[in-house]
Amino acid sequence: MSSPATLGVLAGERPMPTWARTQVLVNRPLTDRYRLLRFRSATIAARAEAGQFVMLSPATESGPVLPRPMAIYTRDAGSGSVDIVYGVVGSGTKALAALEPGATVVVTGPLGRGFVVHEETGHVLLIGRGVGICAMTTVAQDLAGTGVRVSAVLSGRHESAIIGAEVFRGCHGDVRLATDADETSGVAVLRERLHRGFDGDPPQQILTSGSARLTRMSGELAARWHATVQVSIEAHMACGLGYCHGCAAGDGDGTHEAPLVCRDGPVFRLRG
Amino acid sequence: MTTSIADAPREHGAPGPAAPWVDTRVELGGLTLANPVMPASGCFGPELADLLPVETLGAVVTKTVFASARPGNATHRITEVPNGMLNSVGIPSRGVAEFRRSGLGGYAALDAPVVISIGGLSTQEYWRVAEELADTEHAAFEINVSCPNLERGGQTLDTDPRAMSEVVAGVVARSAKPVLVKLSPQLQTIGEAAKTAEDAGATAVTVCNSFPGMAVNPDRRTSELGNGMGGVSGPVVKPLALRLVWLAAQAAGIPVVGCGGIRAASDVAEFLLAGATAVQIGTANFAQPYVMAKVVEELPAMARRLGVDRISDLIGTLTIRAED
Repeated sequence: MSSPATLGVLAGERPMPTWARTQVLVNRPLTDRYRLLRFRSATIAARAEAGQFVMLSPATESGPVLPRPMAIYTRDAGSGSVDIVYGVVGSGTKALAALEPGATVVVTGPLGRGFVVHEETGHVLLIGRGVGICAMTTVAQDLAGTGVRVSAVLSGRHESAIIGAEVFRGCHGDVRLATDADETSGVAVLRERLHRGFDGDPPQQILTSGSARLTRMSGELAARWHATVQVSIEAHMACGLGYCHGCAAGDGDGTHEAPLVCRDGPVFRLRG
Repeated sequence: MTTSIADAPREHGAPGPAAPWVDTRVELGGLTLANPVMPASGCFGPELADLLPVETLGAVVTKTVFASARPGNATHRITEVPNGMLNSVGIPSRGVAEFRRSGLGGYAALDAPVVISIGGLSTQEYWRVAEELADTEHAAFEINVSCPNLERGGQTLDTDPRAMSEVVAGVVARSAKPVLVKLSPQLQTIGEAAKTAEDAGATAVTVCNSFPGMAVNPDRRTSELGNGMGGVSGPVVKPLALRLVWLAAQAAGIPVVGCGGIRAASDVAEFLLAGATAVQIGTANFAQPYVMAKVVEELPAMARRLGVDRISDLIGTLTIRAED
């Protein structure tokens, strides 16, 4: 996570969440470590803005006590369905993985402040790693057909572990992969490659998620290209709305609390 | 067995079930609540008005207000434990002046009685918060005596009956409204603490705050929480809280507000039978943001099942089981 001193709160409207007890439509492996869950909610699918999230839990008596924050991976207002992607890491996500299609989940959303693509921006560079990429796929969805070019640099352990490449390609994004397996994901190598790739045609905005190292690199690239950076960050959450104060993005300044990831983020402006 | 319509899949805004008429009102020391359900402090905010009909609740309770701004504890602040959660949020507050200026209005607009939770790091701080909020629009104060007290080496107030008595009496003297005292779960002396609060002029006691606890991450060899320790809440504490409510209700002559792991109308019934007059719902709000309204909706059917048409007829009617 970036230190809170470097995070600025983006301007924007507060979200308009709803809740739904709703059905799981799909729950299947997406890559070797991640699974995709699709649920039905016409309201959330219609209202979700790029970069927002939902709080989700199985509607069972014995299930996890806390819902889990999940980035909205894709949403389809036409069919009223929303996709999220999760890794099975603890009791909460194990319970999610066990849900069959038709099972009931409780979902609250859309929540948080998403990415803001400025009107004057003609070229956006997305830099993401691992499951963090899921916070940015909706940006590509929204920019498809608008004339704003999307370049996506997706980092992961190996090619088949990378999430979202097909979504970005489906949205006519220029997709470049960086993997640990072929040693192209290290910051030094990647930075050099991005200089070569974009120095002649730099983006006006860099959006990033999923890695503190890549966030720092995005800051350096932005300084080089006179671009701005927005970063989506993850945190443990309980309410997702802001009232429980469980997800402060750091330890505050001694008097005032740091911004809350759920209410003031999850997308923040990275200060230069 | 009754199946509530509230369990059927639906989105917020859909009509709930019609229920037979039952008197759900309870009396909390001169304060009449439309029903016994309110949120626990820190587990509610005006943001929830987007997600449930807040006006159906018996009351709403604010996050604890301190005299001065404070940032809260280090992150990580929350983690899940089996059947519960552990938090060390540390009650961040923007201070009483800012709460008065920009915080209270959000609660006052909710069309439910507002209970203002007040805290302090010293006796004087509690009194100052009560004084500065005395003339505002609210139904009651709830004194959070589980705050670490700087005058007593960080001990919570209710470990020191004389100190608690002083704080409560001072707040009562500064308020024309009912004063609730939210006790921490001192397992051995809850009755004594409830009696102390009563003798100092409290209208009711809330039993209880979260239970001190800890979670350890063996792989990192660290605590899970940035503050080391925290408070355990959720279904795991319900039997512990029920016992404390029972003991407090036996010891004190003032109403008890039960709190600990409540997430269904049947839980409310258990707390009322054990001696609670009203209840607070905390952790359950996180996974089910509409849970308080659902519980309110299910109260009449629950009362009918237990053979009463006045919810208040359940209060303190528990008997200890004899051999069948």
